[in-house]
Amino acid sequence: MSQTITIDPVTRLEGHGKITIQLNDQGEVENAHFHVTQVRGFEKFSEGRPFYEMPSLMARICGICPVSHLLASAKACEAIMSVRIPHTAAQLRRILNLAQMVQSHALSFFYLASPDLLLGMESDPKTRNIFGVVAAKPELGRAGVALRRFGQHTIELLANKRIHPGWVVPGGVTEPLAPAKRDEILAMLPEAHANLSMALAAYKQIAASFKPEAEVFANFPSNYLGMINEDEKIAFTDGKLRLIDPKGNILEDDITASRYTEVIGEAVEDYSYTKFVYYKPLGYPTGTYRVGPLARLNIVKSMGTQLADKELAEFKQLATGPVESSFYYHHARLVEMLYGLEKIEELLSDPLILDKHVRATAGVNRLEGAGVAEAPRGTLMHNYKVDEDGKIVWANLVIATGQNNTAMNEGVLQAAKHYVKDGKFTEGVLNRIEAVIRTFDPCLSCSTHAFGQMPLVLTLLSANREVVDQVIR
Amino acid sequence: MSLTPARCLILACGNTLRRDDGVGPWLAAWAENRFRAEAQVRVLSRQQWTPELTEEIAYAGSVLFIDCSVDSAPGSVRLTSVQPATGDQGLATHHLGASELLALGRELYNSLPFHAQLLTIGAASTALGETFSTEVTAALPHACHLIEDTVLHELSRPELSQSA
Repeated sequence: MSQTITIDPVTRLEGHGKITIQLNDQGEVENAHFHVTQVRGFEKFSEGRPFYEMPSLMARICGICPVSHLLASAKACEAIMSVRIPHTAAQLRRILNLAQMVQSHALSFFYLASPDLLLGMESDPKTRNIFGVVAAKPELGRAGVALRRFGQHTIELLANKRIHPGWVVPGGVTEPLAPAKRDEILAMLPEAHANLSMALAAYKQIAASFKPEAEVFANFPSNYLGMINEDEKIAFTDGKLRLIDPKGNILEDDITASRYTEVIGEAVEDYSYTKFVYYKPLGYPTGTYRVGPLARLNIVKSMGTQLADKELAEFKQLATGPVESSFYYHHARLVEMLYGLEKIEELLSDPLILDKHVRATAGVNRLEGAGVAEAPRGTLMHNYKVDEDGKIVWANLVIATGQNNTAMNEGVLQAAKHYVKDGKFTEGVLNRIEAVIRTFDPCLSCSTHAFGQMPLVLTLLSANREVVDQVIR
Repeated sequence: MSLTPARCLILACGNTLRRDDGVGPWLAAWAENRFRAEAQVRVLSRQQWTPELTEEIAYAGSVLFIDCSVDSAPGSVRLTSVQPATGDQGLATHHLGASELLALGRELYNSLPFHAQLLTIGAASTALGETFSTEVTAALPHACHLIEDTVLHELSRPELSQSA
């Protein structure tokens, strides 16, 4: 009799999710799905709102990466306005986005992933949390908390609020940066660097012991999408998208926000509220790809900062072509955080960063606009259509987690096939299957534009689809 | 720690778009204004309490947490002592309670505030909206009075923080 395993809820994620593993009559894993079980519908209820409200509205999709939504949304609005924002506003937005990336990656690495990495996949689930990490490695716990605080405080200094700031508006930002705030951010950087160095050293010390997991944690060839600047270095806020194939060859280059519908398609499966995004010329599911830290580091040849470039070179030693295992999202996150700290310092050191001209104004000059930014979890696109009065008549959001959706599902299947034997599983096995999802650091709230908490369910189903076992956290 | 530790830290929590859930931020704003001239009092208001607050809590002389309560009678105001939570319970990363914040601060920084108290106001409604229920509105003067008394009492004590 075949069975199905359900992990519901999957823990230490942003949002609600469920994993179902279908067994065949021999107790072997036949199929596996990662379900996102929430729906919210921002695209629909924004219809009728004035376009200039969209950044603040859309930021409410997520409390972790509201800055990414602010930026992609503001850029879509600026396309409607046909304005080019002032140089200083663009630089300030870059700092804001990098600060968000640092705090979000710190959350992912230290709060969500480090219990598995530092305490072990098989460790007692009662203490496999940030408390356990703090008890076992207090210095790393402090480093994680401090790095997250650095990112959040930088956002607060720039934008006056840690979460859902209203500072980014169509046309730029609402106010310039005060010298005292710049100095305060710069003063925090040495401690942030020290904490990140400690985290990188700790990760490298333990990474080798997770090679068995790396072998089966979504370890397969795929395409990768990410943003680069005109020098082909990594970019998070302003740049064009590049798509590479599993061997690292460029499939599509210079993808601008306005051109994304030509190359990006969205498919729907009946088991998840999150869409499945793919590269149109290859079709679905062949054209699916990965985004986020792993993809970005696979795409770029240079980060553009000294320390991060050294780390990138070491990262690229993991494979001869693109690094395929999603386990190494963790490593990539640390490299990106280092880049973020260096780049923030570089941007703040430019005297023009204090320039007072930070906002351009215009009305409706086009009836459609699209904007793109790199969120911590990957590429984010917002696309709006407006009427002559500037009211939204249609909106579409393409979210990082949707772009990783196929890879997450394939990764769950790969891990389940490896770990689930004879229809039996241990808590440690279930945790590893969850951990596959956690490598992607998906934001389920973003992917469905949904509101909620973070539980996840794992269910084991028989061949006739009866629930044989279930774990609810 | 980059900031000078507060002699008395007021830490409020709530969502101003969910009616009575916004009473914490409202009281924080009141306290900020009331103790504006008092450098030893620091007031923070957050939509959620997260681990990044633990350092400031751990090194504060005393902490007054303020939150609404859906378990208390609407409009009831309660001031209770808070102890650090035991570390064997599950922990959310998006939101921590007062006890969990104290425990995490103790683990991370080996320090606890000398006094930690939680002031709660029973919520009648946490529906969408920016106005308080009549019960919470009626309770505001009493809550303000309690905050004032508590802070003044803490400021009159010798400045102390205890090592965990």
